[in-house]
Amino acid sequence: MSFHIEAITVLLNGLQQGAIYILLAVGLSIILGTLKFVNFAHGALYLIGTYAGLLLALEVNLTSGLLQEWGYGQIGLGLGYIPALLLVPLVVFVVGLAMERWVVEPFKDRPDTDQILVTFGLAIVVQEVFRIFFGSSSLPFSQPSWAQGAPQVPFLTQIPISSWRYYVILITAVLVTIVYLLVEYTDFGLIVRAGTRDPEMVELLGIRLSRPYIVVFGIGAALAGVAGVVGGPLNPVNPTIGNDILVPSFLTVVIGGVGSIAGATLGGVLFGLTYAILVATFSSWAQVGLYAIAAVVLLVRPQGLLGEEGVAP
Amino acid sequence: MSDESAASTDADGALAKAAGIWAPRGNEARVMAGAAILLAIFPFVFARMPVTSDFLQGYQSLATLILIWGIFALGFDLLLGYTGLLSFGHAAFWGGAAYAAGVFSQYVSGSPVLMVLAGTTFAVLLAWFLGYLSLRRGGIYFAILTLAFAQMMFYMSSSPLASITGGENGFTGVETADLFGTFALESELPLFPLEMLLGTWLYAFVAVITLLCIALGYRILNSPYGMVFRAIRENEQRAEFVGLNVWRYRLMSFIISGFFAGVAGSLFVIHGTYVPLASLYWTTSGEVVIMTVLGGTGSLFGPIVGAGLYLYVENIVSGGHPVDFIAPFWHLILGLVFVVTIWVFPRGIWGFVRDIRDRFTGGDR
Repeated sequence: MSFHIEAITVLLNGLQQGAIYILLAVGLSIILGTLKFVNFAHGALYLIGTYAGLLLALEVNLTSGLLQEWGYGQIGLGLGYIPALLLVPLVVFVVGLAMERWVVEPFKDRPDTDQILVTFGLAIVVQEVFRIFFGSSSLPFSQPSWAQGAPQVPFLTQIPISSWRYYVILITAVLVTIVYLLVEYTDFGLIVRAGTRDPEMVELLGIRLSRPYIVVFGIGAALAGVAGVVGGPLNPVNPTIGNDILVPSFLTVVIGGVGSIAGATLGGVLFGLTYAILVATFSSWAQVGLYAIAAVVLLVRPQGLLGEEGVAP
Repeated sequence: MSDESAASTDADGALAKAAGIWAPRGNEARVMAGAAILLAIFPFVFARMPVTSDFLQGYQSLATLILIWGIFALGFDLLLGYTGLLSFGHAAFWGGAAYAAGVFSQYVSGSPVLMVLAGTTFAVLLAWFLGYLSLRRGGIYFAILTLAFAQMMFYMSSSPLASITGGENGFTGVETADLFGTFALESELPLFPLEMLLGTWLYAFVAVITLLCIALGYRILNSPYGMVFRAIRENEQRAEFVGLNVWRYRLMSFIISGFFAGVAGSLFVIHGTYVPLASLYWTTSGEVVIMTVLGGTGSLFGPIVGAGLYLYVENIVSGGHPVDFIAPFWHLILGLVFVVTIWVFPRGIWGFVRDIRDRFTGGDR
């Protein structure tokens, strides 16, 4: 393989890895920016998205867990990938609405630490429920047969990357653009942004903020669900995937700047590229490199790359 | 309480003159005596006494482990319950000290006392460095930054430093020597009541250190220095306005808490003669958070109770005691209890017990 092909492969892999971080980070970031709520259960929403996607798209043979013991060893609807991609965001959106109503609302006036603790506890509960029912061993979630090989496009056929990864990048780009337009250019977005600046004033003007807020949380959750369903086929699926993805997503938010969609995107691209480049060069330092970059960014620009001074808590 | 302490002030004064800084203050003598008695009878009641040990299904090594995690949780509570900072990176100090003590035992000396010193020194220096970096931002940023730095330590030890730490397999080369060169840690104590009550030298060693840690924690919290921590938790701005350097007190509180985590981590490697890589993973930080909150933040003994409860569920209930079908649900149960605790009793078991006592006695202050 010539050098430029290899370089392009690394870059695309990095973008794809970054795309997953971006989907999670944009959700976390808008939730943190508008509701001022720290959601340590975002990884659990990703987990729900992955399992929901797996069970909607394929039929799975469980090897352990309660469902298998009860005789439901073969489970799943087998609808295919496209219905899963469309349904999972809806499912996780509804989970998000419920969570906003019954968890975020009661904890709005409690200290930050309580919010972190309660969502951390919920994340454990969700993870354990999945472990108990579906077992702790990894489940196979293969990429769809129509997206396994390199895309049949001139030049791209030379690059050893499955078309699924291109779809991940594409879906992320479209969704993040939609969310960006929604927040920046619609009346809904205007209310949300105004509520971020001065909630009291907005409510004095006769606008109820609770409805836009619950929708913001739902959108953030749905993005995590999409991340779960597009990221699921790229890694083994087991109940701890939510734990593993949470920390890098939070760092993406923090280095990008809280509340900034562009910042989360930039942070995700930076993370994904760094990771992919390090994996290709000094692979044992790949994970450490991510955290080193985050540390340097925060020491030089504590508010994040595109964060505004003083707005963040 | 105020009457008693006023009456005992004279006696304390004379004692203080004789003993200098080592003299007990306020309730300290009573608290320490009570703690010493509890530590002395705990392994007996838990693992050997006829009726209770059958009921509890405890064993000696778990009793030791509970004290070790108890020290960790006690130190963590100094930070969370008193200074009001939530760190999600204490695995770095616990695991870091465990690795440091383990490597020290392999290359320098396996003396348990020196291992604890080495591990704790490493943890304190690390806490200084990480605290300096993480405390630049407050609130949620602090939680996320400590989390990030601890994860960095995890990945450091998992691959770039694997030649020293053993990578994924954990550190297996621990070589613990006898205590003071004479007493094998796993052997039983010589004298009659000691052997029955405490069991092994290892437990005795851990119990003495636990007692010292409780004494240290009590001293810090009841000193003017500890009062500043509470002032910062209650109102940071006010503390700043009366001229206290909030940042430095916070850093110090972080370092002290890292010190306790270091002591505990070093004891953990002596106890298990093995360091799993997972001891640096962020879920270990999560475990100590759960223990502390379950037991009760803002109290000296609550976190130790929390550690005991957590480890009991993790080791005994998960084995199918008292009822068989409960075994696979142990972690879920802990998660649910944790969520309910935060929701309904933010002050944990200890706070709950204290509320009940106050209801009956009308409160003693």
